[in-house]
Amino acid sequence: MSLSLTEKLDSFVRKHNDRQLLVLPVATFLIAVLIIAFTLATTGAPVKLGMEFKGGTMVSLTTDTPATALKEKYSTYPLTDVRQTGTRTVMQFGPMSSEEQLSLTQDVTDTYGNVEIRQIGPIYGKDLQKQAIKAVIFSFLGMAIVVFIIFRTFVPSAAIVLSAFSDIMIAAAFMNVAGIELSLGTVAALLMLIGYSVDSDILLTTRLLKRRGEVEENITNAMGTGITMTTTTLAALTVMYIVTTYSYLVIPSFSQINLLSDISIVLIFGLVADILYTWFMNVSILRWYIQKEGTKIARRRRA
Amino acid sequence: MREDEEPKSIFRDLRVMIFIIALLGSIVFIHPGYNSEEGFTTNLKYGLDLEGGSWLQVKLQGALVQVDADTNMLLKALIEPLIGNTIEITSSTATVNLQGQAQTQVITFTTPGTVTNSQMDLLGLGEYTISKQNELTQVKLTTSKENLIDSYLGNSLKAEIVPMVTTDGVEYEIRTAVTEQQIESLMNAVGGSIVKNADGSSRYKDRVRTETRDLTKTILSEKMNSLGLKDIPVKTVGDEYILIDFAGIDLATAREIAEKPGKFEIRIQITGNETKHVLYGENIESVGIVGYNEMDGMWFTPFTLTEAGALALQKAAIETGATRNPMEHNLIMLLDGNEVYSAPLSNSAAQQLETGPIYSWQSSTGSGDEGKEKAQQLQIHLRAGALPVNVEVIGAGHVDATLGTQFKKESVITGFIVLLAVALLVYRKYRQKEILIPMVGTSISEVIMILGVASAIGWQLDLPSIAGIIAAIGTGIDHLVIITDEVLYEGKLPPTKVYLSRITKAFSIILAAATTTVIAMGPLVLMGFGSLKGFAITTIIGVFIGVVIARPVYGKMINEVLKDKSEGQV
Repeated sequence: MSLSLTEKLDSFVRKHNDRQLLVLPVATFLIAVLIIAFTLATTGAPVKLGMEFKGGTMVSLTTDTPATALKEKYSTYPLTDVRQTGTRTVMQFGPMSSEEQLSLTQDVTDTYGNVEIRQIGPIYGKDLQKQAIKAVIFSFLGMAIVVFIIFRTFVPSAAIVLSAFSDIMIAAAFMNVAGIELSLGTVAALLMLIGYSVDSDILLTTRLLKRRGEVEENITNAMGTGITMTTTTLAALTVMYIVTTYSYLVIPSFSQINLLSDISIVLIFGLVADILYTWFMNVSILRWYIQKEGTKIARRRRA
Repeated sequence: MREDEEPKSIFRDLRVMIFIIALLGSIVFIHPGYNSEEGFTTNLKYGLDLEGGSWLQVKLQGALVQVDADTNMLLKALIEPLIGNTIEITSSTATVNLQGQAQTQVITFTTPGTVTNSQMDLLGLGEYTISKQNELTQVKLTTSKENLIDSYLGNSLKAEIVPMVTTDGVEYEIRTAVTEQQIESLMNAVGGSIVKNADGSSRYKDRVRTETRDLTKTILSEKMNSLGLKDIPVKTVGDEYILIDFAGIDLATAREIAEKPGKFEIRIQITGNETKHVLYGENIESVGIVGYNEMDGMWFTPFTLTEAGALALQKAAIETGATRNPMEHNLIMLLDGNEVYSAPLSNSAAQQLETGPIYSWQSSTGSGDEGKEKAQQLQIHLRAGALPVNVEVIGAGHVDATLGTQFKKESVITGFIVLLAVALLVYRKYRQKEILIPMVGTSISEVIMILGVASAIGWQLDLPSIAGIIAAIGTGIDHLVIITDEVLYEGKLPPTKVYLSRITKAFSIILAAATTTVIAMGPLVLMGFGSLKGFAITTIIGVFIGVVIARPVYGKMINEVLKDKSEGQV
């Protein structure tokens, strides 16, 4: 599959000029911006904040009791959501008093099996939110600085940073559409995306700028390596997503591991976006840049 | 070729030797084993989400503030509500000591009402004399502004205040939840305010001192130990958070343990083993900081009793005869039924108790370092396991042991299937087992080395760490693909000189990529995020091991293996 994908992508890139190649990435980016802007306008945050950032209690447990009965049972608590997958039930509660927390904890651990509980105070949640924003900003800036130090030329470096930024935007927009909340796990996924996204960009840029030979030829070669990299990573993440999300269908005693499931799905979408941004946008920017520099050098030689 | 003339075993190569040593070392650290009882065993430590148990993250409530106020207004605010009458300050003189620091204030005030000794003792502002003059009561009090502010804040906020002299004035630690506005309005009422810095920012900090945080941590640890819970780690996170891990204990029990103070009791010896109850911990008003008495070279722990407590102790001392024969009647302190201190009353205390109650006490614990340690222990015991500051549970978690075991199994299965899927894709691309085996082998050895490092540093593997390991497998394979493609450019193995320049180029790409990954993960390690630290640390360890140890060897190996193959074909 990876070979044929590379071939198709390669012939598409060869057949279209730089401007045509930019259409899809730019359109996708604009859609992502619209989705994020809409979420920002309606909820006050660019992505839907999860329990860890808003404060509250998450209880997940194994039970045959239907959701409606659970809603009834815990109606005295600020229950906001009940979700069931197989025999696994996840209940979300809003912030509550210390006494309520204690009685809920006692009740749940005494009644049900395979219980997992997570509680975050609203003020600490705010604190985490600030730290998460800081972490993402610092990570991104750090990455940008490293990239500029490595390549020392503006256009190629800026293209890498822009591509990483787009990947994050697409992943965030996807989270909004798919209803995945921002949790500590998904923040980690977004940061990891910075690392993964830059990998293939650095490969492409190095191959095009530092290797002699035809630009198109170099693109094809880089694409062969880069697509292999991204597809192996995608395969790893898809396996991780399937096992942590659906293994209970095969082995009923297994439970979903929400943290790993969230991390993998966000990374999967980020990496799919990365194929688009590396091999369409970055390629077109670099091809244009090399041509422009080439003619400049040629002109200087003639003069 | 010249290289072929002196065939060097690849095992002689320094990088290969380091790789083998690191791999073997990791296996020793992981220490895999099997026995019929426990099944498969290792030295690896697991986090609570894989082991089962609960954890609490608590914030210490308190503030650090520097304030100023008017001495006379402070005194009025303290005395008037207590005696239920107005006072008039007739004289107030401040004396500055030689260092020009600690000021002693001698204040004289009069009131048409009455002031009793016990009222003044209860306030504990300093030495005083009460006299009657005509219709008025006159009190001459020797105190200091710090004392007055301390008492004023303490009474108003119903909290313990701990002043400390810093280089730029006295800083008060308020050991309860309080806002800046609250303090500002309290100080405004006595003609003062929160001290401002030169740049206009106020000297108010929403946290407690590091020493207080550490004391809280120590008390929590003590309490866990006294309950027989030996391996409960209590960690401090940043200046204001404390994290407690309760392996194998459910969340409800954990909260009870952390929030419930111990039971402290003072008893007095009647004869031999017979003792009599005097008071419980709630009659201890406050516990001071450990001090050293230069007169007798003894360390001591000061504490004050409430009115009821002081009277109960006086009564018990007189009834048992301790006031007349203190040596026969020890005062015994118990925490949760265990004796923590036993000593007779001092002669001077015994005499004083004959005539009236004593509010302020000092328990001597001996001389030298041992005495100091005992005094610090006693300070904790006197607090009866009650924490010096209020704590607020801001985060908590719980995972059932059975669920943790399930997560562990699922993670291992995920890891294996991930490797299998990656191997399959690599084989589809290169269709040579000469590439597949070194590549998957390198990837597996990287995982073993990450686990080895985790085991060596005692890192607890939790779910985020496992995500980090899987992420490291992902970047690891990416980098091996870069090396392979660079070396195999144009489909065949190049001559050695070209091979060397290509491998250098491949490594420049890998190093650049690895640097960005480490930089991107850096903020997570540095910031106080509990659960994401594991993810970032394992990813960074993985990247380092990969770049420094494993991938150079892969570059070497792939060259050797393919060289052998192409020679075999010729």
